[in-house]
Amino acid sequence: MKHAVISCLHANLAAVKAVLNDIDQKGISDITCLGDLVGYGPQPNEVVDLVRERDIASCQGCWDEDIIEGLNACECSYPSQLAEKRGHLAHEWTAEQLTDINKDFLASLPTSIRRDRILFVHGSPNSQHEYLLPDMNAFAALERVEKAGADTLFCGHTHQPYVRELKNGSIRVRLQNTSNHNAEEKEINLPMRKIVNAGSVGEPRHGSTNATYVIHDDVTGEVEIKEVAYDIGLTCQAIIDAGLPRIFAWRLSHGFEFAEQAEDASHVCER
Amino acid sequence: MGQKLLISGSPGCGKTTWILNTIKRNQGACGYLRLSEQANNGQEKSPESLIDCTFLKDQVPHLQDLSSCPDTSISKHKDFLSLIELSQSQSPDQLEAVGINPYVKSQLESLKLQPDRHLHFGRDSELPNNDTLVFKELESWSLNLAKSVWDPQSLNTFWFELVNGAYGDVYRAKGLMNLPDGQSIFFNWIVSQKGSQFLPLKTVSPPNGRPERPSGLVIQGKGLDCINIQSTINLCLLNDALLEMHQIPLRDRQSEALYAS
Repeated sequence: MKHAVISCLHANLAAVKAVLNDIDQKGISDITCLGDLVGYGPQPNEVVDLVRERDIASCQGCWDEDIIEGLNACECSYPSQLAEKRGHLAHEWTAEQLTDINKDFLASLPTSIRRDRILFVHGSPNSQHEYLLPDMNAFAALERVEKAGADTLFCGHTHQPYVRELKNGSIRVRLQNTSNHNAEEKEINLPMRKIVNAGSVGEPRHGSTNATYVIHDDVTGEVEIKEVAYDIGLTCQAIIDAGLPRIFAWRLSHGFEFAEQAEDASHVCER
Repeated sequence: MGQKLLISGSPGCGKTTWILNTIKRNQGACGYLRLSEQANNGQEKSPESLIDCTFLKDQVPHLQDLSSCPDTSISKHKDFLSLIELSQSQSPDQLEAVGINPYVKSQLESLKLQPDRHLHFGRDSELPNNDTLVFKELESWSLNLAKSVWDPQSLNTFWFELVNGAYGDVYRAKGLMNLPDGQSIFFNWIVSQKGSQFLPLKTVSPPNGRPERPSGLVIQGKGLDCINIQSTINLCLLNDALLEMHQIPLRDRQSEALYAS
């Protein structure tokens, strides 16, 4: 059966509506959201309301967590002072705007959703803040999937959609027996594992301004990355009307993230 | 008496680069002066003048600053070459009719610097015929950034946004920016040329607080969003505590290297 995976909505209502409309037109009713419903964008309540109304199963993203916990995202997540200050500004604005009901909803979201051997997370199984970039060291990538007990791992957070197949993996175990000093070695071959990044609905960063999401067929294993055009002008105007920094509108309309992403793919938040 | 050349041209046509190359080729001593077409609100030097003078002085340490001592004995030497830079937005045709503007003339007279020749980019064949824009009714915005130090990654982002039109139609941007490690980087960009020029100055300050050398930014264009340019810059500059945080490990490394040697 085909199901759709969406991620990183970032309070961009026009983009979320366009993507849901695209999914509806394909007759797909099973949708999973990988979090970051809010943050930077101008319509946090509208987007959370829509996800609740549609009863879309969602993980908690790093922005959702930070809004609830009353924390600014950990400083190490920001690649620059400018990105950090802009991020804090967006955080304060979003926290002020969100209704208590919607905050409770974000607080109730799980950090992962499991369906048999398929795992859905925001960043990585380790943390909502960890980036699984497409060129991440293959061993580290395989370790993330294997340790989580998954065949296919769906993630977001990087805002760059991709499908990565991890083939020919193996684990070699060496056991030292203290009584006779003999060492036993065993090599376990792993079946192919897959990491699927759904990109971003509300804040794309894949070289185009279109929203992205993925469709997965859990019988054939086939994954399609979908791009959906939406009315960016509407969101940009809403950013300006909300009093958020105008630069957010400029960056969004050029296909850049509101703030830059961290470059260290193996970074794990220690908070 | 040595030779005095007045070099004029539109912003970004390559005046400073040509002057630098001429100074490097010249056998004798050289002096440099940068003039503006308009009074600079009582400031001693405009940020653009500070940027160009500091850059040239870094590249050619023996270069004499003609704005402070135009009439020294060395400048009277027959091999001495005085180079006077003037940013002038007129096209060569207009220039013949208008001539040198009275404010520039008065500056030259007060400094007792009468050019032997006036070379203008786009008119005189001695100068390279660069593909530059003729600017008309250009808005100009500048900021003196003395003692300011940038967060390096934030500076990257700001410059990227600036030259890609996030704060209006920028045709030309030039800056000299301080980094926490003591480096100063010369930034140079013009809309008609591909990419930005980033050139670290040879002189590096010790990573010990705020550097004393000049620093500034000059932007020319249309519809410039000066308020947001300024507010973004404010978000990029390091406060004392953060600057110290950047510099402590650099000082430690320097001490270790000194100890090891």
